[in-house]
Parts: sequence; C-alpha cells; structure tokens
Amino acid sequence: MKPRILLIEDDPQIRRFLRASLGAQGYELVEAGTGKEGLALAASQAPDVVILDLGLPDLEGIEVIRRLREWSSMPIIILSARGQERDKVANLDAGADDYLTKPFGMAELLARIRVALRRKLPSEEGKPVPVFSLGELKVDFERRRVFRGQEEIHLTPLEYKLLTVLIKYRGKVVTHSQLLKEVWGPAFIGQNPYLRIFILNLRRKLEADPTRPYYLITEPGVGYRLRDE
Amino acid sequence: MDQQPSRDETPPAPAGQDSPGPECLLVCVSPGPLCQALIRAIHRLAAAQHARWYALYVETPAHARLSREDQERVSQALRLASQLGGQAVRISGFRIGDEILAFARENRIAKIFLGKPHRRRWRRFLGASLVDYLIWNCGPIDIFVISGEAEAAKPLKSGGAKLRPLWANYGLAGVGLALCTTVANVLFPYLALTSVAMMYLFTVVIIASALGRGPAILSSFLSVALTAFFFVPEYLSFELANTEYVVTLVVMLVVSTLISGLTARLRYQATVARQQERQANALFEMSQNLTGRYSLDALLDEAARQISRIFEGQAAILLPDAEARLILRAGDPIADYDVTEKIVAGWVFRHGHLAGAGTGTLPNVRGIYLPLKSSRQVIGVLRLEPHSHEGRLDSESLRLLEALANQVALAIEREELVTQARAGQLQVEAEKMRNILLSTVSHDLRTPLTVIAGAASSLLEEEGRLDGATRHEFVQTIYEEAKRLDRVVHNLLEMSRLQSGELKLNTEWHVLEEVIGCALAQLEGQLHDRPVSISLPADLPLVKLDVLLMERVFVNLLENAAKHTPAGAPIDIVCRVEGKTLQVEVADRGPGLLPGQEEKIFEKFYQAWPGRTRGAGLGLTICRSVIEAHGGRIWAENRPGGGAVFRFNLPLAEESPLDEYLPDEAAHPAH
Repeated sequence: MKPRILLIEDDPQIRRFLRASLGAQGYELVEAGTGKEGLALAASQAPDVVILDLGLPDLEGIEVIRRLREWSSMPIIILSARGQERDKVANLDAGADDYLTKPFGMAELLARIRVALRRKLPSEEGKPVPVFSLGELKVDFERRRVFRGQEEIHLTPLEYKLLTVLIKYRGKVVTHSQLLKEVWGPAFIGQNPYLRIFILNLRRKLEADPTRPYYLITEPGVGYRLRDE
Repeated sequence: MDQQPSRDETPPAPAGQDSPGPECLLVCVSPGPLCQALIRAIHRLAAAQHARWYALYVETPAHARLSREDQERVSQALRLASQLGGQAVRISGFRIGDEILAFARENRIAKIFLGKPHRRRWRRFLGASLVDYLIWNCGPIDIFVISGEAEAAKPLKSGGAKLRPLWANYGLAGVGLALCTTVANVLFPYLALTSVAMMYLFTVVIIASALGRGPAILSSFLSVALTAFFFVPEYLSFELANTEYVVTLVVMLVVSTLISGLTARLRYQATVARQQERQANALFEMSQNLTGRYSLDALLDEAARQISRIFEGQAAILLPDAEARLILRAGDPIADYDVTEKIVAGWVFRHGHLAGAGTGTLPNVRGIYLPLKSSRQVIGVLRLEPHSHEGRLDSESLRLLEALANQVALAIEREELVTQARAGQLQVEAEKMRNILLSTVSHDLRTPLTVIAGAASSLLEEEGRLDGATRHEFVQTIYEEAKRLDRVVHNLLEMSRLQSGELKLNTEWHVLEEVIGCALAQLEGQLHDRPVSISLPADLPLVKLDVLLMERVFVNLLENAAKHTPAGAPIDIVCRVEGKTLQVEVADRGPGLLPGQEEKIFEKFYQAWPGRTRGAGLGLTICRSVIEAHGGRIWAENRPGGGAVFRFNLPLAEESPLDEYLPDEAAHPAH
C-alpha cells in the first residue's frame, strides 16, 4: 500500500509541485488548502505523515498541531519561512516532529518523510538494534563501544548517552531542551551552552573535521540532528 | 455689565506728548469683587480701539494678609486678562501708586483704569486714596475710575486659618516685651533711662524682623507706654515728673515705629526675593531638564517628577489619544480617578482654563487641573494633587504651577515638532532608499530569474532534442540560481529588519566553531571547489552572540570572498583571543581592495566592481550592523601578499556561563 501524505498548504503552486514530485516518488497525496479542512482530512483519511505549512489563512500552525496532537501521534513535518526560529522551536515543542525551511530541496523533503515514516513503523519504535552504523561510525550498544573505522573512540558516559539519544531520533531534529531533558534531566532545560560544549567534544571525537561536521548537524537556533544514512 | 466710565475725574494736565501708534490701556487689578467685570469692560474697549492693554497687579506686603478668596480673585482676574488677549503683569512693591505710574511710563500707557476704591472708611481719613494719588501724579496719563454696582457684598472673612498665626505673633510680641520689661526692671538700678529705651528699641527691632509689621507697631506703642509706666518718674504711673521725659518718649516712639516699618519692609523684600528665587530656580531647572530629552515619554516623566517634587504632591500629565480621550501619559497613577475627576480634566482640556481643587471652578475634586497650552491649542492637561494644604495651593504656588505648565506645554510642542521634522526626514530618506533599492534589487532579482526562466523554458520546449548532459546542465543552473535568489531575498529581509530598528539581539553562549560550521554548510555548493582553512584555538571560550545573525556575518563574508576571487582560490578563517576581545579574520587571495574603498564597501548598495559581480551590495552592510550591534567593530584591509582581509572583533564577557554547573567531566574541550 502506498504511504499516504496529507499536505496542508494554501499556496496552489507549492501544492502542484509537491503533488507532481511526491506522486512520482510513489506517495499518495491528500491536499488541504486550509487548516480546518486539513484537520477534517487528517481524521477521515488517516494519513501516515502530515506536511503542514505554517502560514495558513485560517488557523495558526501551532493550533493545528495542538488539535492534531489531542487525538493522534501521526508524524507532522512543518514548512516554515526563514527567520521564524522561535516559531520552529514552539511548534516542535507543541508536538511537531520535524521542520523544513522554505525554499527547500526535494531531496531534503523526501529524507524527512522517510525518517517520519520509519518512526511510524511499530517495529522500529523502542526496539533498539544491537549495532548502529552510519558511514564510518559504529556503535555497539550491547558492549557500549564506539568505533570510527577500525579505531575505537572513548566517550564519557554522558557523551555516550548523548550519542544514543541522537541515534534514537536519527534523521530527525532534536531540540536543545529535548536533548537536555533526555540526557541530563528536566532540571537542565535551558542550559544550552552546556549542551553545546558536549556536542563540541563529541564532534572532536567523532568527526574527521569538527568545523564541517558530517554526522552531527547543527540546526541553528533549534537543536541538532544526526545524519540519516 | 453695569459699569459706565465716568469722566468726572480727568486729570488736569493735558496730554503732553502724542503717544505713538495705538494707545495702550492699563487696568489696575484689585482684589475687589468687580475686578473681573472691569477687565471684561476694558477688553471690549480695547478691542473697539484696537489698543493693546495690560492688567497690572501691584503686590504689596498687604497681599499676604488678604484672604484666600481675595488672592484667588486676583489670580483669576489676571488669568482672565491674559485669556482675553491682554498682558497680565504682577509686580511687587510698597507704594501701589508709584509702581502703577512707573509701569505706565515704562510702557507708554495712555489711559489707566481703576475700580472705585472700596477702602474701609477709617483708612480714608488716614491718607489720600490711591485714586487721588494717581490723579495728582499722573502727568499726561488719563485716569479713569470705574464704579461698580454699590459696594458689592464683601465676602465673609475667610476662616481663622490665616488669622491664627497672626494672633500668635501678637502674643509672641507681648511675651517679648514682658521679658524685656522684666530684665530692665532687674537692671534698672544700674541703668540710665536712655539705656532702658535702647533695650526696648532692641526688642522692637527683633519683633519687627521676626514677627512682621503689625506686632512691631503694636510693640512700639506698648514699649513707650511701658517705659513711661515703669521707668519714668513718677514710677508706676503714666504721670511724667519732668516735661523733658516727653521728648524722650516721643523720640522713642518715632524711632521705634520707623525701625519697625523699615525692618518689616526688609523682611517682606527678603520673602519676596526668596519666593522669586524659588520660582526662578524651579523654572530654570525645569527648562534645563526638559531640553535634551530624547523622547516625549522621557520628557513627560521628567516634568511630572519635577512638578511632584516642587509641590510635594502627585503630578500627572494627561494627553489626548487619537480619539481625543485624555490618557495618563506620565506621573503616578491616579488613585480613584473617577468620573468627576475625568469630567473636570475634560473640561479643562476643552476650555483651556484651570479648574479643580482650590480654584474657583469645579473645586469639588482632589486634583488641580491646568491646561497645557501650546502656541496653537490646548494639547493636554496637567494634574496636581498636593499632599498638604487640604489639597489647595496658595496663589503664589498656583502661579508657579501655571508657569511650569506653560514650559511643559512648550517642551511638548517642541518635541512634537522635532518628531515631525524627523519623520519628514526619515520619509525622504526612505523614499531615496526605496528608489535605490528598486533599481538595484530589480536588477539583482531579475538576473537569476532570467536564467531560471530561460533554462526552464528550454527544458519545456526542446525536451526531445536535448541530450542528457545539457538537460542536467540546465537543471543544475536553475537550482543554483534559485539558491542565489533566496540569498538575495534573505539579505534584503535582514537589511530591512536591521534598518527598521527592530533588531533585538537574541544572544546566547555559543561555540564559535559551530557557528562557522553552519555558515560553511549553507555555502556548500558555492565553496565546494575552494580550500577553506580554519584556524581556531582549541580553548576558544564560549562567546555570547545571536547565532543566526552571526551566521549571516560569516555567510556574507565567505560569499563575498568567493564572489571576488577566482575559482579555486583559498579562503582562510582565523580566530584568536586578544585580551578581552575575540579577533576574527576572513581573508582571501583575490584582487584586494582599491585604495579608498576600505570604508565604502560597507555602505549600502556599494558595488566594488560595478557590473562585474552580482549582489545587492548589502552583504557587508549587514555584517557591519550585526557586528556593531554586538559591540564589536569590523573593517577591511589589503592582505600582505595579495588579497583582501576582513577583520572583526567582539568583546568577550568576563563571566562564563558554565562555572556554576559544570562540576564533572568534559568541562574543558577535549583536544
């Protein structure tokens, strides 16, 4: 069965372009021009992923997210304009899974959709693989060992925990507060500089060139993302 | 009204010199109840003759002894005069007649108008009335005496509040004399009569300087009586043993009354001078403090604060909003600002006339309301609620308050004019900017659009005839040009945000390495063929910055370097800490800068090589705005060995965000 995507977007040109591209990629697209229509379709069509534009004419994007989250955990990817970093964080905190900044490339959107769909599969959720590998990076969860190529990398317990959290959400953006909460605990929410130092150290250990990170991608003003495949 | 000018007391002297121009009229203001009617009459007369007119009040020591109602009547009369277009003048002096005539001569007054005097009868016997005095001394000036209807009911003497201190003064004078008598009695066996007289004179001087004229004159007489009774033979009786004593006593009486008169006058002058100094100081301070305020709100706050301080009360300034409703703009919030207070404030605003507590108009509120009058209209209302005096102000303070209100009004008006001028200038600049923007930007937007449209239409129309490589070339071009278009638009948005003054830094502690990394990631496509070397000290501290704006700085500097240097030319980023600043440089190996360009390239829309490179000329301007907003400095120079180098510095904060909560591992970056 084709994965079904609900696109809530008021601009007909963007809908047209996504319809063509996503259709070609083998997705079934359901379109809504307004937030209310989108909410109705989300209930009736049971999409696998929702792509939500933030500049809707009738409802604030965050309102749509909240209403969806009242009854569903379906993945939501938001499309935002530049310069709305605060909105992004607010929307992610409200329950959105990921975001894309306009203008975006098709490759990026497809990657986000793949991550979202993977997370929706029950087999993947909460069921850790014994070994995670990404490029040269290899993490052996059972023995708690990390390798880059053949070389073993020694991580501190917190660095290891940080890495495992990022692996758990790989491909998806994880906000600062989410990381701080999951690795250090709720008391650390807001201590972003602390997190930055740990990421810096992790990069220096994992990345070939820490100033041009390959694995640990910064989402400025929002959080971090571990590269997916 | 019922005044009719009576010409029965025209002066004998003919008009000696022809007064040049229109005649000037002078109304003498008195506390009499008909004074306002008199002023209205003169206003009509002056209007008919197109004459200038003055309303003059001479403030003598007696003014202080007037009842509050009388004082208020004087103030009201003067206010009325200035509202009707006359010039209200108050001068202080001792001899009303002389002051009036001096003023009249100074101001070339042709006619003086007075209300019919309502002196108490006994004073009429004592001396010539003011009218008589003026008539005898006026020279070429015409004097008109205008009578009212009967002697309009004199208002009741106002409450004892004013009198009580006076009685106390008389009492104190009595005590002083009793003391003096006792001492003189003790010393009398060793003293001559003249010395006793001197002691009494001394006491009278003290009483005159401390307690005023009335008690002084009373004590002059009493002291003579006491001397006669106790110290002049026959003792303990008023009989005089020798006629020579009569001379002594009479001289003593004359000297002591003279002294008391003079001392009281000095005292009054000192009081007046003090009051005038206080007013002058308050006005000066106000004008000092109101100039150089950078905004209307700051100005209003300052004014309200000062008025509150001077009058020991709560001052507030109410200005109308867009719908002409009065809104509290400065000062303490008004407790119980109920409907009555609002109505009074509104009335004052509409009529431009003072009202409220302690004034003749609408006195049943707690605040005193004064109109703030600019040169054209009433622009607001000043409210004062004094803490003391049962919410009332004496006429002196009221006058000062009015003067201050005028200053505030003028300051507000000036501020508004400045704002208007500034807005006008801004508009002109915005217009200019818009024009430049349109011409530059339309070019910069159109170029990539042309490429995109051309490539896309080729793909559409000649689909079948294009080979795979060409098609890919077209698609690649479209993608890259679209990216560039996005960057131009982004810079434009950023620029307008920075220009509009809305820029608010959203600073956090950041790792510089990460910021540079983000910028490099954004320019991946553009920089792929260039070696970019980054040199950062491993122990670079965290820097407090707005990450999105700072990323913009790096993106713009790197893009600038890429744009102006041949493909494959290296770019170097170097950071180091020098003292309390972070130094960053982005250097290229391009053609470098032309002499004199180092500053110009940071100007808006400046193109270093017109026609050769594309861009709106905003990138470096944005860099400068952002760096300066962070408290740093950015500049450009030529690099030794060829190329250009852009350097900026950022202040490093003293404190570190991590000290408190980084007890464990990894507090320091691993090397």
